[in-house]
Amino acid sequence: MRNPLQRPRALLAAGAAAALALTAAACGDSGESDADVTFWHIQNEDPMKSTWAAMADEWSEEAGLTVETSAIAVEDFKTRLSTQTQAGDLPDLYNTWGGGVLAEQVEAGLVRDISGLECLDKVNPITLEAYTIDGKVYAIPFDQGVVGFWYNKDLFAEAGITAPPTTWSEFTAAVQQLKDAGVTPIALGAADKWPVHYYWTYLSMRLVGLEGLQAAGEAGEFSDPGFTEAGRLMAELAAMEPFQEGFESATYGDVDGQAATMGEGIAAMELMGQWAPQVQRDASGTEGPGDALGFFPFPAVEGGPGVTTEFLGGGGGFAAGAGAPDEIEDFMCYLLEEENQARAVQDGNFSTVAANPEEVLPEPTPEQQMVVEAMATATGTQLYLDQAYPPAIGSTINEASEGLVLGEITPEEFVTMVNEAWADEQ
Amino acid sequence: MAAFIAPALILFLLFVIVPVLFAAYTSFFDWNGLGGIPTDFVGLENFQALIADEVFLGDLWRIGLITMLSVAVQLPMAFGLAMLLHQRFPGRTAFRLLFFVPYILTEAVTAVLFGLIFSPRRGFADAVLAGLGFDGRVGWLSDRGLVLFVIFGILTWKFFGFHMILYLAGRQNIPEELYEAARVDGATSKQLFRHITLPLMGPTIRITVFLSVIGTVQLFDLVYVLTKGGPYHASETLAITMYDQGFVRNQIGYASALSIAMFLISLLFALIYQRYVLSRDLQGSLTSTDGGRS
Repeated sequence: MRNPLQRPRALLAAGAAAALALTAAACGDSGESDADVTFWHIQNEDPMKSTWAAMADEWSEEAGLTVETSAIAVEDFKTRLSTQTQAGDLPDLYNTWGGGVLAEQVEAGLVRDISGLECLDKVNPITLEAYTIDGKVYAIPFDQGVVGFWYNKDLFAEAGITAPPTTWSEFTAAVQQLKDAGVTPIALGAADKWPVHYYWTYLSMRLVGLEGLQAAGEAGEFSDPGFTEAGRLMAELAAMEPFQEGFESATYGDVDGQAATMGEGIAAMELMGQWAPQVQRDASGTEGPGDALGFFPFPAVEGGPGVTTEFLGGGGGFAAGAGAPDEIEDFMCYLLEEENQARAVQDGNFSTVAANPEEVLPEPTPEQQMVVEAMATATGTQLYLDQAYPPAIGSTINEASEGLVLGEITPEEFVTMVNEAWADEQ
Repeated sequence: MAAFIAPALILFLLFVIVPVLFAAYTSFFDWNGLGGIPTDFVGLENFQALIADEVFLGDLWRIGLITMLSVAVQLPMAFGLAMLLHQRFPGRTAFRLLFFVPYILTEAVTAVLFGLIFSPRRGFADAVLAGLGFDGRVGWLSDRGLVLFVIFGILTWKFFGFHMILYLAGRQNIPEELYEAARVDGATSKQLFRHITLPLMGPTIRITVFLSVIGTVQLFDLVYVLTKGGPYHASETLAITMYDQGFVRNQIGYASALSIAMFLISLLFALIYQRYVLSRDLQGSLTSTDGGRS
């Protein structure tokens, strides 16, 4: 006769084994993918989406490794990447903006040190700054540019504005003129928050100065009265109601978002980075303002030490996860080959990061030319604050910027919120 | 006997109890969740910050409001429809199916769908209003006073079919003989409803209220995809705040404290509700290990 105890024991063992198997699966590498190399980027629209895919395919064939490419819209990308960061498992190659966000990933040991990469001499050394932490390089740059006002010359002319404003009072006067002419002065996607933080950052740069802002960032406290004044000017601008209807729930890149509002020629200007013209076309499904599109730097503020040649800027690069195979360096160098950089510049409308721009960008488009010219005049740059600072600070600045334009918080509360976040971080 | 529940018990321990205990542990630390284990012990600081956090208090208010609206509007509506659809009329099955369809959609798809309908410039909802001759746009998702009610409307659209099906099933379980007997005694239809339908559907009603409340406390996907909790926290829920703190700001310690708060809210509600409201329904339905001999 069988021992009646045998069966329950066997069941118990089977149960334990199943549980272990499940835990093991949950802890496995990247979970979903069987490919040798996972590659995440944010160009989820053609032509650049296909161009990345093509480059990945070419390298895959050459290297004999499989590559799984994921094109993820920027907001979803940030969400997924922060989840992957918490899981301690970043993709083998992924988009990054550098700064404090990358630094936190590096500190957690999740990013591959690529300081020794030979092909880094193919890029302008200045563009490596945002990806250099404690003297080590953690990403290859691919795009570099500045944030400024992209404006529709036709709409400005309609409102009788002859030259782009260079001071804040000229700027607010122009906003009023546009309103009087029945034109929406500014497109804004406040639901995404980060497009709003450009305004506060730039006003701070003008009122406190670039050095002052950098010193405050290092000290971890915004104590200069200029930071409150920046909020006050921003609140004043918002009180003029310069934004398109429904901007509170508009995103940057969706069908009724900031970029589409510009692309359709509804709003006269937007404060955005070098990628703006491309997204205007992609999001609106139109040709965009075309030749009518112009660019001017963020105006100077009367009485502030900041000048218009100090830019807020940055660009996209690619970092490699710590778990990536060694061949990932080969892939990075393949992407940086002049010929491939040229494809990205052409199809993605990127601003070149090449050490020798003329080899990559023989004939820049008018839009690229505007960014190149602005960068050539730059006397200083600041990386986007929501990337430059640790995520807890950057998110607070984004959140407070939204609260300020919606009139939910005061300029004083803005500074208090950010300072409290700094204090928590230390 | 114990061996038969062992596999389920092990899974439950591993994937429910251990994470809950771990979250409780990390809620006492200032921890960014990256690398290693938490070391910076801060005691109850996270919880102290939590009860002073306006966003958290706002979440509680918003969750409370949606719960009240659900119980006061959504469930009675589902109940009424279930009573209607219990009657015999041509096309009854088609209607039942139609009302149930929204429940089948995932929350994310529902959010994308309504994101287009309530899009700020060219939304379908505004276009319909314009077609009916109403002027001007409604800030469906951009008006901070309105957005929560719009979300409640979407939740109702999505979930009333589910509650309706439960009510329908509950109604069909009531034996017709009871009604026949009451009619013979001269009861009016109002009396039939008041003294037969309502009391006999009590268990179903109580369980739908329970499901509705617990579902609201956990509300996340639909709102996150639709508004991310905005504009400026106007539609934020507990789960969204937790996600934002934990995964966007890397404040895992604080997010853990919030998750513990959520857990306690759900647990307290479940215990009180079971003890005082569901107790009658559960009587005799629980199996005991001695085969019900005691």
